[in-house]
Amino acid sequence: MSQTTERQFLLDSRGTSRELGAFVVGAAFDRTGAVAAFALGDGTVRLTPPHPTMDWPVVEAHDGTVLAIAADARPGFVTGGDDGRFLRIGPDGTVTELARFGSKWVEHVAAFADARSGVLACSVGKSAHLFTVAGQPLKTLTHPSTVTGLALDSKGKRVAASHYNGCSLWFVAAKTDSPRFMEWKGSHTGVVLHPAADAVVTSMQENSLHGWRLADGQHMRMSGYPSKTESMSFTRSGKWLATSGAESIVLWPFFGGGPMGKAPTELAGGDNVTCTRVACHPQHEAVAAGFSDGLVALADIGTGRILPAVPPGHGAVSALAWSADGSRLALGTETGFAALIDFTPR
Amino acid sequence: MSDSLVPVTVLTGYLGAGKTTLLNRILSENHGRKYAVIINEFGELGVDNDLVVDADEEVFEMNNGCVCCTVRGDLIRILSGLMKRKGGLDGIIIETTGLANPAPVAQTFFVDDGVRARTRLDAIVTVVDAKHLLARLEDSHEAEEQVAFADVIVLNKTDLVTPEELDVVEARIRTINRFARIHRTSRAAVAIDQVLDQGAFDLARVLEREPGFLDSDEHSHSDSIISMSFEVSRPIDPEKFNAWMSTLLAEKGQDMLRTKGILAYANDDRRFAFQAVHMIADGGFIGPWAPDGERKSKLVFIGRNLNRPQLRRGFEACQAGVYQAVAASA
Repeated sequence: MSQTTERQFLLDSRGTSRELGAFVVGAAFDRTGAVAAFALGDGTVRLTPPHPTMDWPVVEAHDGTVLAIAADARPGFVTGGDDGRFLRIGPDGTVTELARFGSKWVEHVAAFADARSGVLACSVGKSAHLFTVAGQPLKTLTHPSTVTGLALDSKGKRVAASHYNGCSLWFVAAKTDSPRFMEWKGSHTGVVLHPAADAVVTSMQENSLHGWRLADGQHMRMSGYPSKTESMSFTRSGKWLATSGAESIVLWPFFGGGPMGKAPTELAGGDNVTCTRVACHPQHEAVAAGFSDGLVALADIGTGRILPAVPPGHGAVSALAWSADGSRLALGTETGFAALIDFTPR
Repeated sequence: MSDSLVPVTVLTGYLGAGKTTLLNRILSENHGRKYAVIINEFGELGVDNDLVVDADEEVFEMNNGCVCCTVRGDLIRILSGLMKRKGGLDGIIIETTGLANPAPVAQTFFVDDGVRARTRLDAIVTVVDAKHLLARLEDSHEAEEQVAFADVIVLNKTDLVTPEELDVVEARIRTINRFARIHRTSRAAVAIDQVLDQGAFDLARVLEREPGFLDSDEHSHSDSIISMSFEVSRPIDPEKFNAWMSTLLAEKGQDMLRTKGILAYANDDRRFAFQAVHMIADGGFIGPWAPDGERKSKLVFIGRNLNRPQLRRGFEACQAGVYQAVAASA
């Protein structure tokens, strides 16, 4: 990609950006796609305004650092922070406290909604707390050690939590709560669920991934990374798992029997820069990736074509999110740079 | 070892030794500096600080084939979270539970790349109770390991013992750890600059401070922890040293709590700093030798069942240009 020149980056022709002055911990679009939010290390959440030229509204959310953000089951967002609070932030910036957990950090949040129901989730220490869409406590799921990652499946029926020595898979609506415990020794640091619930995959402390095929519990071990994988994303079809942690986007095949015994596909490599964030396009077989030098690019998985979006130089990419229709990409970096890229056809 | 790394002080000590008193003293005298304090949920007293994080002391095994390699999983997460804060921190203080073995905390700073990229272990400070330490050392492995791992030892509650008793306690500490700096205090009244920003885990200073490297002939014949040091004056061959040290740590790492050294490599004007906690080793160049000074390589071991003649011969054989013959099989 070193041959690309500066004017070829989409940021110049189709981007809006700001310097927000604090570590961008996460980014999300709300369910309507109307508003994007950036969660920051200074405790605020910045929303995108109705018109691109207007100032970005500042929401004073957490006293400390925002640790996690996700689209709410309603319009707006849910956030967790190191002030021990689980918050709901409306598209207009209204803050509602859903729960308060004292001196414990709210490290992970998730939400799901469809026409009939929905669920909100957050993790605090060893517990995952589930709430109704209205914000009423539903249940608390307790794990043997601290929850390091939280994922809801694509139907909102199951929640997966990673922790030491494996991950636990719970049914949200179960009458009696006992998880399916997927065991593998070691420290699991994050979790992602296959969109058709074929598999669950965790990232591990030892620069590798571990997976379980849900049909038969078959283990899969994906290793070779030079650093820890902090970001994982399945393509919409569930054919590919895109991952960070290498000097390219590493994509594992989840078709034709799964990744076992196969080499992954590597895209956008060659610059000796670590991929730090990945986000698969919600419609097409394409993946957006952010790198430690600030580069953001879109890779078409079928053809391997690379579309450069943001040039290097804005700090390591720490947040990446698509709008649900795939028309816009939000990104943020450790040094506080944030941008929106518009992909709508012109 | 860059200055942009946030220094981390680990505060250990047996229950009732005065850890929390020392912690509150540090925080009340912090001169406007911003510290994050990570405490365990069984803390003895309240801690008065803006930024206090509750930790669960989750000790995790690493799957890297090293049997004693454990890390504090909670610290990896908490330190990563703290590094996202706006404005940064002047330091981080981690208070461990009284029964904690310091090895997993120290190893966390060797093993996790994210932690290494943003923080550095400044010093392990162990608070001990002058009146009860000798009894604790008899009945608790952890108390002994806390002394063994210390860079700084706060010998507290000196007002509860006679000067003679105090000398006996200090002599006992010295058999376990000859290299830590000892401060005698009562009510944990030690100056903040004797505890924070020690750069002790950088170890150059520790070794330079060691007066004369007295070489006594005691050796460890029981299960107790002792420390010993060696010095050689000819330059070290890096390949020989690495081969010797990796074999040594692989075979004896469980007994070797801490290993530290400053090495003069042949054909290099920089000092090489080496350190290990159990089997996990790390090293790097730390700046030049004094132009007119002697270039002596020093190595320190703290551990159990250390064989002095064997270690000395091993280290001496790492000198460049030393011939040796070893048994070999075809």
